[in-house]
Formats: sequence, C-alpha cells, structure tokens
Amino acid sequence: QAPAPAASSPSVVAPAAVMPAPAAVGGIQGQNIFEVKPDASETPGYASQTNGERARVQPGNNAPMWHQVGAGATGYSSLPKAQAPEAGNLIQPFVQYPGSRLTNAGEAWRQVRNHWLIPYGGALLLIVAGAIALFYMGKGSIKLHGAKTGRRVERFTPFERSAHWANAIAFSILAISGIVMAFGKFFALPVMGAMLFGWLAYALKNLHNFAGPVFVVSLLIVFFTFVRDNLPSRGDLRWLLKGGGLLSGKEVPSHRFNAGEKLVFWGGVFFLGMVVVASGLVLDKLLPSLVYERGTMQIAHMVHAVATVLMMAMFTGHIYIGTIGMEGAYEGMRTGYVDETWAKEHHEFWYDDIKAGRIPVQRSEPAPPAGPTVQA
Amino acid sequence: MLLTKKSPGLSGQAAHRPGTARFVQSLARGLSNALPTMDRRAFLRRSGLGVGVGLAASQLALVRKARAAAPGEAGGNSKIEVKRTVCSHCSVGCAVDAVVENGVWVRQEAVFDSPINLGAHCAKGAALREHGHGEYRLRYPMKLVNGKYERISWDTALNEITERMLALRKESGPDSVYVIGSSKHNNEQAYLLRKWMSFWGSNNCDHQARICHSTTVAGVANTWGYGAMTNSYNDMQNSKCALYIGSNAAEAHPVSMLHMLHSKEKGCKMIVVDPRFTRTAAKADEYVRLRSGSDIPFLFGVLHHIFKNGWEDTQYINDRVYGMDKIKEEVLAKWTPDKVEEACGVNEATVLKVATMMSQNRPSTIVWCMGQTQHTTGNAIVRASCILQLALGNVGKSGGGTNIFRGHDNVQGATDVGPNPDSLPGYYGLAEGSWKHFAKAWGVDFDWIKGRYATPAMMGKPGITVSRWIDGVLEKNEFIDQDSNLRGVFYWGHAPNSQTRGLEMKRAMDKLDLLVVVDPYPSATAAMAAMPGKAEDLNPNRAVYLLPAATQFETSGSVTASNRSLQWREKVIEPLWESRSDHMIMQQFADRLGFGKELSKNFKMQQVRGMDEPMPEEILREINKTCWTIGYTGQSPERLKAHMRNMHLFDVKTLKSRGGKDKETGYDTTGDYFGLPWPCYGTPELKHPGSPNLYDTSKHVMEGGGNFRANFGVEREGKTLLAEDGSHSLGADITTGYPEFDHLLMKKLGWWDELSDAEKAAAEGKNWKTDSLGGIIRVVMKNHGCHPFGNAKARAVVWNFPDAIPQHREPLYGIRPDLVAKYPTHDDKKAFWRLPTLYKTLQDKNIADKVHEKFPLILTSGRLVEYEGGGEETRSNPWLAELQQEMFIEINPKVAADKGIRNGERAWVSTPTGARLNVQALVTERVGPDTVFMPFHFSGRWQGADMLAYYPAGAAPVVRGEAINTGTTYGYDSVTMMQETKTTVCNVEKA
Amino acid sequence: MARMKFVCDAERCIECNGCVTACKNENEVPWGVNRRRVVTLNDGVPGEKSISVACMHCSDAPCMAVCPVNCFYRTDEGVVLHDKDICIGCGYCSYACPFGAPQFPSTGSFGVRGKMDKCTFCAGGPEVNGSQAEFEKYGRNRLAEGKLPACAEMCSTKALLAGDGDVVADIFRNRVVQRGKGAEVWGWGTAYGSRQAGQPPAGGKS
Ligand SMILES: Nc1nc2c(c(=O)[nH]1)N[C@H]1C(S)=C(S)[C@@H](COP(=O)(O)OP(=O)(O)OC[C@H]3O[C@@H](n4cnc5c(=O)[nH]c(N)nc54)[C@H](O)[C@@H]3O)O[C@H]1N2
Ligand SMILES: Nc1nc2c(c(=O)[nH]1)N[C@H]1C(S)=C(S)[C@@H](COP(=O)(O)OP(=O)(O)OC[C@H]3O[C@@H](n4cnc5c(=O)[nH]c(N)nc54)[C@H](O)[C@@H]3O)O[C@H]1N2
Ligand code: HEM
Ligand code: HEM
Ligand code: SF4
Ligand code: SF4
Ligand code: SF4
Ligand code: SF4
Ligand code: SF4
Ligand SMILES: [Mo]
Repeated sequence: QAPAPAASSPSVVAPAAVMPAPAAVGGIQGQNIFEVKPDASETPGYASQTNGERARVQPGNNAPMWHQVGAGATGYSSLPKAQAPEAGNLIQPFVQYPGSRLTNAGEAWRQVRNHWLIPYGGALLLIVAGAIALFYMGKGSIKLHGAKTGRRVERFTPFERSAHWANAIAFSILAISGIVMAFGKFFALPVMGAMLFGWLAYALKNLHNFAGPVFVVSLLIVFFTFVRDNLPSRGDLRWLLKGGGLLSGKEVPSHRFNAGEKLVFWGGVFFLGMVVVASGLVLDKLLPSLVYERGTMQIAHMVHAVATVLMMAMFTGHIYIGTIGMEGAYEGMRTGYVDETWAKEHHEFWYDDIKAGRIPVQRSEPAPPAGPTVQA
Repeated sequence: MLLTKKSPGLSGQAAHRPGTARFVQSLARGLSNALPTMDRRAFLRRSGLGVGVGLAASQLALVRKARAAAPGEAGGNSKIEVKRTVCSHCSVGCAVDAVVENGVWVRQEAVFDSPINLGAHCAKGAALREHGHGEYRLRYPMKLVNGKYERISWDTALNEITERMLALRKESGPDSVYVIGSSKHNNEQAYLLRKWMSFWGSNNCDHQARICHSTTVAGVANTWGYGAMTNSYNDMQNSKCALYIGSNAAEAHPVSMLHMLHSKEKGCKMIVVDPRFTRTAAKADEYVRLRSGSDIPFLFGVLHHIFKNGWEDTQYINDRVYGMDKIKEEVLAKWTPDKVEEACGVNEATVLKVATMMSQNRPSTIVWCMGQTQHTTGNAIVRASCILQLALGNVGKSGGGTNIFRGHDNVQGATDVGPNPDSLPGYYGLAEGSWKHFAKAWGVDFDWIKGRYATPAMMGKPGITVSRWIDGVLEKNEFIDQDSNLRGVFYWGHAPNSQTRGLEMKRAMDKLDLLVVVDPYPSATAAMAAMPGKAEDLNPNRAVYLLPAATQFETSGSVTASNRSLQWREKVIEPLWESRSDHMIMQQFADRLGFGKELSKNFKMQQVRGMDEPMPEEILREINKTCWTIGYTGQSPERLKAHMRNMHLFDVKTLKSRGGKDKETGYDTTGDYFGLPWPCYGTPELKHPGSPNLYDTSKHVMEGGGNFRANFGVEREGKTLLAEDGSHSLGADITTGYPEFDHLLMKKLGWWDELSDAEKAAAEGKNWKTDSLGGIIRVVMKNHGCHPFGNAKARAVVWNFPDAIPQHREPLYGIRPDLVAKYPTHDDKKAFWRLPTLYKTLQDKNIADKVHEKFPLILTSGRLVEYEGGGEETRSNPWLAELQQEMFIEINPKVAADKGIRNGERAWVSTPTGARLNVQALVTERVGPDTVFMPFHFSGRWQGADMLAYYPAGAAPVVRGEAINTGTTYGYDSVTMMQETKTTVCNVEKA
Repeated sequence: MARMKFVCDAERCIECNGCVTACKNENEVPWGVNRRRVVTLNDGVPGEKSISVACMHCSDAPCMAVCPVNCFYRTDEGVVLHDKDICIGCGYCSYACPFGAPQFPSTGSFGVRGKMDKCTFCAGGPEVNGSQAEFEKYGRNRLAEGKLPACAEMCSTKALLAGDGDVVADIFRNRVVQRGKGAEVWGWGTAYGSRQAGQPPAGGKS
C-alpha cells in the first residue's frame, strides 16, 4: 500500500515518532492519499508554499502551517483584540534574547531571567554588599580630619531634602520588595513557608507597584532640583583621576557635588533612573495607548531587572557613603546643614564659593528658632 | 526548585477542616455516583469512535482512577437528581444530562451513550446550563405603558389580552389575529398551538420552518413523498462522498461533523460548494466557490457531465424515477459547461471533478441547508439536488440520500405536527376530510370548528405566512385575500429580526392594535416595538404585552431531531421567575376565550405551581392517534422514554438497538431505531422500529424499509407513476408498484378479513391515513410486508410547481443584469398565500433603477456557531456572548482596499431599502470580491443607534448589534413564500 | 502512572468553541478569563486549520520555573496546578508560558491582575478534593471524580482528547493511520520537550 504521506514528506515535523511505521496496518484509506505526489517536494517553490498550496500537492501535510505557528503567526480568534490581544497566537514567536537559546519567547525570557538575571544579578548585589562590608570593616567610615567649627552652612533646603527622602523611601521600598520578588524564594521562602511568604510577597508586590509611581515623580523632582549642581565643572576630572582621594586619604577639592556624586547622578539617577522608570511604567501598565503584549512585557522586565540591579548596586554605595560610610554626610541630608569643616574638607570649591558670598549660606527661609534643625 | 505535591488530594488539609470537608466530599461523591455514564473510559472509548477500540481499551488500564475515597455516605440532606434532556438549539439533537441539586441546575454532563452526539457539544450545547440561571430573562408579564414596560400580573395580562382579542374578532373576524408559533416548542406544544388556532378559527399561523426549510419540505415531499432529511447524521458514516452545497455544518450543525469527519477518515470524500470558504469548507477535500443564488446552474452542470458520461444509474432511474428523460434532455441541451460557468462562475474542470467524485464514490450523499432554500427559487434548487441524487441512484440507500440538515431543535417536529398555515398536524391538508379526521380525534363537532371560522371557505384557505405578516398589516385591504388586515400579532417563540425587511416591520408593528410576545427572551420584539418610530405609523390604541414563557428545560415533551428521531426531554427545573410553560399559557388563553374544555378534552391535567397544565404525555398520545400519514403514531411516550434511558443499546452507525430491555418497564428495544425516527407506522403495539433511512428497499417495511410514496396519482401522460416490477421493499408480498391503501384496495386484495371487527369498523370507508385504529397499516405492513402509502416512482418532474423542471432564475436584487436578461424571474402573483406577490415588475424596476450600480456587492447571510437564530437567547448567555461581541461584515481584502476599510474598523452597510447598518469590518478572503457576508444573530442596535433604552429593565442581552434583516430586501419563493435572505445587494462604506 | 496530556487534532477541530464554553460552564470561569481558546490559522483560505489550546501541563513548565512564590505544583498525573492563596498576581507565568495559558481576572493599571487562573485539567487545586472552596477557586475536580476534562469530553468532533498521554496518543495515531495524514501532535514538542514529542513505545513509559 501507499506509504503514509507524513513519512514521504520530510518537512512534517517529528512525525516519525508520532506515527511509527504504519505499514502493518491495512493501508491508507483516505482517498486523497492517492493524489499525493511523492516528488512534490521537487517542485519549484515547494519550501515557500502556503498550507493550502501544500495541501494540494500533499494533502495532510501541514508543515507550512506548523512553521507559521512556530514563527508566532497570529491566527484568528473571535475574542476581541481589545480584550485579548494575543488570543490568536498559539505559541509565542521564536526569539533569541541575549543569553537565551533561539526558542519561543516565553521560554527565552525564562532562560534570561532564571539563568542570568537572577543568579548574576543576585551575585552582583551580594558582591557589592560584601565589598562594602569588607571596605567598612577594613577602613571604617571616613571621618572628619579637622575639628567641627560649630558654624553650619545650609547644604540642602527643606524642599531638596523632602524630595530626596521621598525618593529614598520609595527606592528602599522598591528595592526591598523587588528583591523579595526576584530572590525571595531562595532566602525567604524556605524560612517562612509558602503561605506566609506568599502573603508577604503579595503585600510587597502591591507596594512595589504603587511605590513605583511615587518614585517616578520624586525622581523627576530630584533630578531637576540637583541637575544644576551636577553639571560637569572644572576639577571633576582631577577628582576622578585621583579617585576622589579615597586611597590617598587626601580629599580632592570639588564643588557642591564631587565628580563621584555626579557620576551617581548622571549614571544612576538620570540614566538608570530613567530606564527603570520607563520599564517600570510599562510593567505597571501605566502608559496609556500601549498594547501590553507578552513580548513587550518580557523586554520591559528584562530591562527593568538589569537596570534595577545595577541601580541597587550603585545606590547601595550611595547609601553606604550617605550613612555609615562618611561622617557628617547623613547629618547634612537629615538636617540640611553641615559643619563648615565638613564643607571645607569634602567640597572645598563649594565652601570657597560660600565664603566668597557667591552662594548664600542660607538659601531657604531662615528656619523658625524652635526648629530642631536650627543651629544649637 | 520545583514544588511537587503529591496527588491532587491533600489529606493533610482535609484533617484541618473535618466538618465541612467530609460533607462536601461526600456530596461530590454522591454527585459522581449519581451519573453512571460519564467515566473516562467511556469518553476515551467514544473518542476513538469505533476506530481502534480494542487498542484504546487495552491501554485503559493505564488510566488511573483517581477516586478520592470509598463512596458510601449519603450526600447529606441535599437532593441530587440527574435529568436527561436535549439541547434546545439546533436540530442535531444532542442529549444532555442535567444535574439538579435541590431544584437548582448545578452541573451538566456529557451523555456518551447518545448515539447521536456521543457526549459531544458545540458551544451552544456546552453552555446550556446557563438556562438555569436565566439572568437576562423576562421575569414577569409586562405591558408597554407610555413607552416603558411595566410589570403586571398574569391575570391582568391574560384578561386584557383576551378582551382585546375578542374585540378584534368581533370587529374584524378571527383572521385579523396572526399567531407566529415556534420551532422551539416541543411537539406537544406545537401540535397544541395548531389545535388552539383551529379552535380560534383561523389558519393565520406559522412558524420558523417557513423561513427555513419550507422550500425543502415542499420540493422534497413533492419529489418522493416526505419533506424531510432522508437519512441521518450517523448514516453519513457509510457515505463514500458527501457534497455539502449551501450548508455550513461546522457552524450550524457542529456535532454532525463528528460523524462526517470520522467518515472522512475512513475515506469518504467531502466537497463543499458555497460562496464562502466556511469552516466546513476548511475540512473539505474540494471546495467550490459559486455565486450566491446560482445552485441550479451548478447542480445541472454536474448532472450534465453525469449524463454525458453515462454515469447515471439507469436501472434505478427506470425502476424508481419518473421524468428523468425530460431532465436529461434539458440538462444536456441547456447546461453546457460554458453556460454553467457563465451563470455560477465555476469552470468546467471543477464541475467535472465534482461530478466524477460523486459518481465514482457511491453511495454518495448530498447535504443542503439554507444556502439552497432561502431563495426566490428555493423550491427549484432543492429539487435539482433531489434530481442529482436520483440520477445517481443514491436515494433510499444507506450512505446516500439527501441529508437535509434542519434548523431549530424542533423545526422538524413543528413542521410535522405544528402550526402551519396550509395544513393540519401530520400534513393533513385543509380539505374537509382532514378536518373531519381531526374533529373526530379531538372529540369536537366538525360543525363547531367550522362555526369558529369566519366562513367555511376560510377554513380551507391557507393562511398568511410568517415571512409576509407585515404585508398582512401594511398591504391595502382590497389587495389581500381575506376580509380584514392583520390587527393583532402573537410572537409566540419567534424573533422579529429573523424576518426580512426590518424597516417595514417596524411600521407594521406600530400599526397593530395588539402585539403579544410569549417568549423567555421577548426582548428583541419588545425593544423594536417600544422604539419610537414615525408618528404617523403609530396606532394610538396599540397594546403591547410581554409574557414570560418557560424554556424547554422547564417542561417535558418530545422533540424531533433532523434525522426524524424523537427524543423525550425530562423537566430539568421548575419554571424560573414567573414564567409558565407554553402549553399552560395556551390552556389559560383558551379558558378565557371560551374553548378551554374543547382544547383539552382528551388530556389529563397536571399541577404546576398550583395551576393546571395539560400533560405532555397525553398530548403526545393524541398525536399518536392522529398523525398516521407521517408515522407519528408509534412513538408512544413510554417507548420514547425507554429509548432515552437506554441510549447505550443503540449502534452509532446504524442507530439500531443491539437488543436489550428497559429495566424500568421491561420494554424490549430489540430492532428499534433510536428515537423511532418517523415514519414509525401504526400503533405503538405494532412495534414498528422507525425508519432510519427513507425509501430504502433493501429492508423489510417492518424493519424500517420502504420505497417512494404514491401520492401523485398512478399515471401521467400515459406513463405509469408506480414503481416498475421487481422494485419493492424487501419481502413485500406485492412485487410491482402499487397505489396507497384504502378500504377498497384491502378488499380487492382480499386482505380485509385480516382486520379485527373493531378495526374493520374504524377502517370502513377510510384510507390508511384516516383509519383511526391503524388496522390497515397493521395488516399491510405486518402481514404482507407492503407499504401503506403505496410503491411509486419519485418525480424528477413536478408538474404542479411553477417550474416543473427546475429553472434557474436570477434573484430580484442582483448585480448581474446581463444574466437577468437570460434568466428572468417569475411573473407577479396576485393572490398568493392571501397576498399579492411581486417578481418580474420588481426585478425589472431594479434594473431600470440601476440598483446594481448603487449596490454593487452581493449580500448574503448566515450563522455563527455561538449564536442561534435571532440570537436574543444566546446573546443573553455570557458564556457564549463573550465569544462574539461584535456584529460584523466579511469583506474581501480587495474590496476593503478599494473602499479604504481596514480590518476591525467600522463600516456602513447600505441596502436598497434605505437601511444603513453600522458594523465592524472583518477583512477576509472567506468571501470573494463580489460578495459580502453578515451573520444574522444580532439585534439591539438600529441603524447605528443603541436600543438599550427600549428594552424591559434587566432583560437586555449581554451583546447587542445591528440586525442584518433591518436591511434585507423583498423577495419570496414561488411555492412556499420563503423569504430571500441569501442573495440580495448592498454597498459598504467606511464609517 | 498516567501522565495527563491534551491532543488537539487539527484535522478535526472545527472552531466550534464547544470546549471553551464547556470549560466556562463546568468551572464557572468569569467573563474575560479564557482557560481555553480556539485559534484558527490561515483563516478563510485553503489550508485553514483550527486548534483549541489551553494549558498543556508542560513537563518542564516555564510558568512553574519563573513563579516568584513557587505556587505551582505538579500532581502525580503530571497536571500542573497552582495555589491561588499564594499567587501574587505578578503575571510572570503568563510571560513565560509558550501557550498563553495563564489568565487574570483583571487587566488594570498598577499591575493589578488578581490571582492567576488557568486550566487545571479539571483537577481542581490544593484545597480538599470536591470542596466548595476548591470549586470556587479552581473549578471542578473532575479527575478526583474519575472523570476527564469537561472540554475534551464535550468536544463536538472529538478533536480534543484529554487523558493519559499514551492512550490519547494511541487514539490519535489510529486516526492518523486511518486517514494517512495530519500526523502532527500539536504542541507536544513545546510542552513536553522533543524527547516526548513523539509517542513513547506503547506501555513502555515509566
Ligand atoms: N450556531 C447555529 N447553528 C444553527 C442555527 C443558528 O442560528 N446558529 N440555526 C439552525 C437553523 S434554524 C438552520 S436553518 C440551520 C442553517 O444551517 P446552514 O444553512 O448550514 O447555515 P447558514 O449559515 O444559514 O447558510 C449556509 C451557507 O450557505 C451559504 N450560501 C449563501 N448563499 C448561497 C447560495 O446561493 N448557494 C449555496 N450553495 N450556498 C449559499 C452561506 O455562505 C453559508 O455558508 O442551522 C441551524 N443551526
Ligand atoms: N438574513 C437572514 N435571516 C434569516 C436567516 C438567515 O440565514 N439569514 N435564517 C432564517 C432561519 S433558517 C430561521 S429558522 C430563522 C430563525 O429565527 P428565529 O427562530 O426567529 O430566531 P430565534 O432567535 O431562534 O427565535 C426563537 C425564539 O424562541 C424563543 N424560545 C426558545 N425556547 C422557547 C420556548 O420554549 N417557548 C417559547 N415560547 N419561546 C421559546 C427564543 O427566546 C427566541 O426568542 O431566521 C431566519 N432568518
Ligand atoms: C529603583 C527602583 C526599583 C527597583 C530596585 C525595582 C526592582 C524590581 C525588581 C527586583 C523586580 C523584580 C524582578 C523579578 O522578580 O524578576 C521588579 C519588578 C517590577 N517593578 Fe520594579 N523596581 C524599581 C522601580 C520600579 C518602578 C519605578 C516601577 C513602576 C513605575 C516598578 C514596577 C515594577 C513592576 C510592575 C514589576 C513587575 C512585578 C509586578 O508586576 O509586581 N519598579 N522591580
Ligand atoms: C536610604 C537611602 C539614601 C540615603 C541614606 C541617602 C543619603 C544621601 C546623603 C547623605 C546625601 C548627601 C550627600 C552630600 O551631602 O553630598 C545624598 C545626596 C543625594 N542623594 Fe541620596 N540617599 C539615599 C537614597 C537616594 C536615592 C534612592 C537617590 C536617587 C535615586 C538619591 C539621590 C541623591 C542625590 C541626587 C543626592 C544629591 C547629590 C548628588 O546629586 O549626587 N539618594 N543622599
Ligand atoms: S446546538 Fe446542535 S450541535 Fe450544538 S449541542 Fe445543540 S444540538 Fe448539538
Ligand atoms: S502550558 Fe503554560 S501554564 Fe501550562 S504548564 Fe506549560 S507553561 Fe505552565
Ligand atoms: S501570577 Fe501567580 S502564579 Fe503566576 S508567576 Fe506570579 S505568583 Fe506565580
Ligand atoms: S481541562 Fe478543565 S479547566 Fe482545563 S480547559 Fe478543559 S475544562 Fe477547562
Ligand atoms: S470543541 Fe472540539 S472541535 Fe470544537 S473548537 Fe473545541 S476542540 Fe475544536
Ligand atoms: Mo432555520
């Protein structure tokens, strides 16, 4: 009897396994089978035939369609596009994300996330945390060299501070919740158990989703507030070349913000911040008129994850220096005022400017006398 | 890091909540134990559909039964019952097991045992349980007051309506009231409604069959006897080739495809001929696109090749067909390949291929549906199909036949025994003999009925058809063939958006004195009536009432599937809200109209919610005692119920019982065909098994065999109309052709004395159709193996039709004036079904007006699998509604590009009636560049505006859309008044 | 041990959506959540094929691998289920799933999705078998009742088969042999890996 068309058409995907040699069974009874042209695959354009054209020469050979499916072709589904934009896709299209095999997008995304983002991102965060811890244990915090003068200059206005803290708080929430979402199942789940962890993650996930927009707004404000003083200026290069004097122990003069801070500002606040914000807004489905397809979400997620991990790494440093890493820095951000000594040691040019009267000592309205942050 | 929990049951968790858990668990177990038929084995076994059963079964051991725990504990105090019912959507007749807990329909299970559907359902059937929710139903009677529907009591409603009816009767006679009955009614309700109408005194009643298969019924019955599907869905498993022409079974009869696709796997070839590349076409071996309305050129083109090559079955034609020579002559001369291609657009090679496939793979079958029937030439098209099958010798053969897929769940039954304007139940005509037959059975005086009618003449005059009721209202009185115009209309289980010429229907609705809608979902009619129309059309005295009818799941009764099998539905739940069953409503009206006693003289009453309701079993018994003609007499309620309980005994391929007794009654099903497909002749005691395939001479008549009916005389133009010698059903005592039996023939043959004395008394002076004890039938069939309706030839030439030989005629609205010149339509008719009817004048006018230039696209319409009919019921079912949320129009990419319309955009569709419909564009190659398609299931938007405000509060369906019939045009079949819904014209513009 | 799988026979599926509404009905799935859907390729042109798709209960399930709270689990029968009490509605499973099976009751802003819902192979969830809580969260547990998925049982053409992978593959193979065409077991390669894409030797699977 005639051979199964599947067997005679090599382009049918994996039929051999599905349908082991049917020879023993009483022949092929489908009549169309006799119309199969064994040499159909020789015809010109065979490879580019549509499913319908293929059916003409090799009935039942649906290879063209399965290729389409594999390529993520969108078929018809009666569900409205607005409600289910991807209902017509059988399988996600084949893609190759950086770090994945060429496979369907869902699997590719899974590979990127599970094989790269989670392990290496987690490792990076651990390394940064470890490095800072080692640095701290080794060198301790950067102390003031001179004695405090007791004279204080205003470093941050209340507006600047509230913007910064809103931003800082949102960031902390986002970072903690983000870490729990991404890595929680490795460290928290085994300890807490599924149910408790589930609740925690649920709470944090929702917190993350709502803190995100807060972060977006505060970040923009922070950006515009600080952008002027973060513009490159003379001395930055020297500061950088000398590594901020971190190794020499001798501070390099700088303006209000030193080149290190400017790097954080432009690299972290501006570049990573914008990337995180943009990807976060997509993930949060807050951009109107965008169709939130899975492919979009996957890309947004990968971008988000990379940017947030880098941002977390960077700001771990920032936070370290802003708190235990440097004497007096935190005070400045908390109270708005720094001792002249601090200003002179860390931001000499800025100090000079103040002394020269180019920058007022007090930029904000003088605080009411009873206020805790006013000079003692 | 993957969690792997052990099997689905978490015994640990069970321990946490012992109280509830055990109760609920036992409930679940109770449930599953209550259902004997639905385990995995059965499903998998049936999934193989006989193929490789052995193999599948041997591996079933691998299917682990995951039963949670040992059954045992009773299901608490909740009462769980399983009711077997039948899907109420289409004519396939899929069985459903409804699980009812404390009166609430909680689950629906597949009935694997059903030989018809083997547990399978399409979207509608699988969503049936929503009927148990009925959230969007009308909950209580309502009346239109100042443009808003207000709640009233049943008593008020019934009293006010009957008062109005009696007033109309007094002023304008009984014919001023028109009742549109329903193919949704079960047989008993449909029958009772025809009886009800007769006692009211008018033939002005009709139902969906008119706009569905009326042309089929007339055409086919006039060809060989009965107007029904000859074989069955199941029998298509025996076909070697199937030609679907004008049927989109995959959407309209999805479960029929179960049998077809199985058949196809075994080698059956499948051909689909349709203007659209449908879901059915996607499954075909050969798809042929033809121009809508040109089926005759195509069919005769096929026949041309058959005759030319001598592929016709000459022996068969000689023995069993009258007039084929005339057809041959005409077809060979007239339908040459060039003419065929010109008229239907199909080239010679394709036509030849179809002819070859049909001829070389016999038995071959033909399937048709609305693509053939809904035309001004419907009656001729369906006959062309019959002729093709006769030429090939396919009729009366297993695997062959004309498989005419019927429409609504009980359109077959309602046609057989229901409210037809031109016949009494069982196709008994309106002649005095018929009336007397029924008067006797009904136990009323013939003269009393006569007195109920306006005049004795009106008693014999076919009524107006549902397709034209609007003209009964709008037409000038002097032109209509009854005293008064229509002034009162009942929509008793019928939607308004299923009839053409919606704009005029709105005017007609406004003109009425009385509009009553009896329906579980009356809202489409309600909204249309409440919507403000033109002030000058509105009758200030108009009264509109909505009465909530119960669905078929809230009552019991029999329903006839397309294959003529009758199935008994058990009552699943009590009527929801304030609804009442249709037969209860009929009785309550009759009581108030003064013929309540007469209506139910033969019936016992049962109490439903404390009110009297005629028992469906009793009504069926009356049908059994009257409808001899079509063999609705053997299907007693007991036999039907035994079949429903023992579905597993019936073979899927033959529908025949493999033998076995009903445990409950001891009834032996041996030899019966499932559902006793009519004709199931004689009394139930005769135990006729039903007829699986009509006119099948290879079987004994007592085993469902038969031959063509002698219904048109015995001779014409010197040629015999009876079958040739030797052509008879297996084992018949008479081996020649013979006429139908009456007392005289019985006596002549010397068979009279085989009747008992009582039978003789009943049969004296009667024929087999009016013999009230069925004695003639018993003797003829059982003792002599003969057929009571005689043994004759089928008629290829139906001389009593306008076109004795089917003629192609162009539609009234078309885009091909060149063809109109060659194939013009009929001349106008003056009094046709009581109304003047236009053909030629309108066609000519359209050409003169250059309608084809303004409306250059052929507009055709049809079905979507998710919705049914006018769609108000299915669009109220959220499970279905979600799947089709927009009314759309299919447009070919080429046309769309020309018009600048992109997929998903809105479009305006305008038609020659002046209607403008706002719909979504679906750009697809499903239709060719000359054709557009719209589904007809939508309503609730009117020329761009939402009608939501006009619906009774809470009773608007989930999805609303523009109704195509708002824009459809004039045009009616020349025999049955079928409306033309498959071929009209339109224009499409970007919205 | 039975390994539950779906086969959708593209030569038979007619896009009737019976499977879809059967699922809605049996599991009372709300509007907007489609555990199963039907996709038609080459719609309206020769070569058209429809396929009904839901969760394939993958062997190496991507959804399971990316879930941040590990709420997925696999039953002895290979059915991939999840725990809605733990799910945080992050949507990652839907990004990862090749077949688009995971569904969410809400598509609102702020990433609010509600608890994920998907085809359970009619096997309920982690609650007590047949309990009201199980039904409300996951739908029916038909497997525990000894029944197979509602969608497949009601499929109008028996295109959709569900059950032990070996058995359904056999039924399917029989059809293929009968008709001599349409041999692709759709989706198996993606869901079960190329090793399982074909039919394991009868009875030979451990
Ligand atoms: N889902 C669903 N199923 C139903 C129903 C429903 O409403 N919904 N209704 C039931 C009822 S009442 C009926 S009558 C049946 C109807 O069942 P069908 O008749 O099968 O359904 P339709 O879609 O009306 O028409 C069938 C096909 O006829 C084609 N057609 C149009 N014009 C022509 C022509 O001139 N020639 C030919 N050859 N074909 C043409 C159309 O393109 C369409 O594909 O379905 C029944 N089943
Ligand atoms: N353009 C266009 N028009 C068409 C067609 C087409 O193909 N194209 N097809 C035509 C055909 S074939 C048909 S059959 C018709 C169908 O059209 P209709 O039969 O008018 O449509 P349905 O909506 O099914 O109407 C049935 C009504 O009965 C109600 N009902 C259901 N069960 C019961 C019950 O038990 N009792 C009562 N009292 N009511 C009940 C339902 O709620 C519904 O309102 O449409 C025709 N119109
Ligand atoms: C710098 C601050 C942010 C950090 C450190 C951060 C971190 C993370 C991390 C680690 C994840 C989890 C990735 C994973 O599990 O694979 C995540 C997910 C997410 N983030 Fe952020 N993110 C930040 C800002 C934002 C912002 C600004 C938004 C929104 C405007 C946002 C919205 C989201 C969303 C929507 C998700 C997906 C998870 C979910 O839907 O719940 N994130 N983020
Ligand atoms: C808990 C977390 C944080 C702490 C404790 C902290 C602390 C500080 C401190 C002490 C300063 C003052 C440094 C100086 O006086 O030069 C500072 C400056 C600043 N911080 Fe933070 N910070 C935190 C988080 C953030 C975050 C999340 C951002 C933005 C994404 C941010 C952006 C800035 C900026 C823009 C400045 C001004 C200096 C510059 O432009 O480089 N901080 N922070
Ligand atoms: S609509 Fe027809 S095919 Fe579908 S389930 Fe009901 S009876 Fe069966
Ligand atoms: S089909 Fe999707 S949801 Fe189902 S197991 Fe596979 S990946 Fe998970
Ligand atoms: S949505 Fe739920 S199930 Fe899916 S990955 Fe997130 S937590 Fe897991
Ligand atoms: S297996 Fe059950 S849950 Fe899954 S799609 Fe089918 S019916 Fe729905
Ligand atoms: S029920 Fe069967 S045939 Fe219908 S769409 Fe689903 S899988 Fe296809
Ligand atoms: Mo119909």
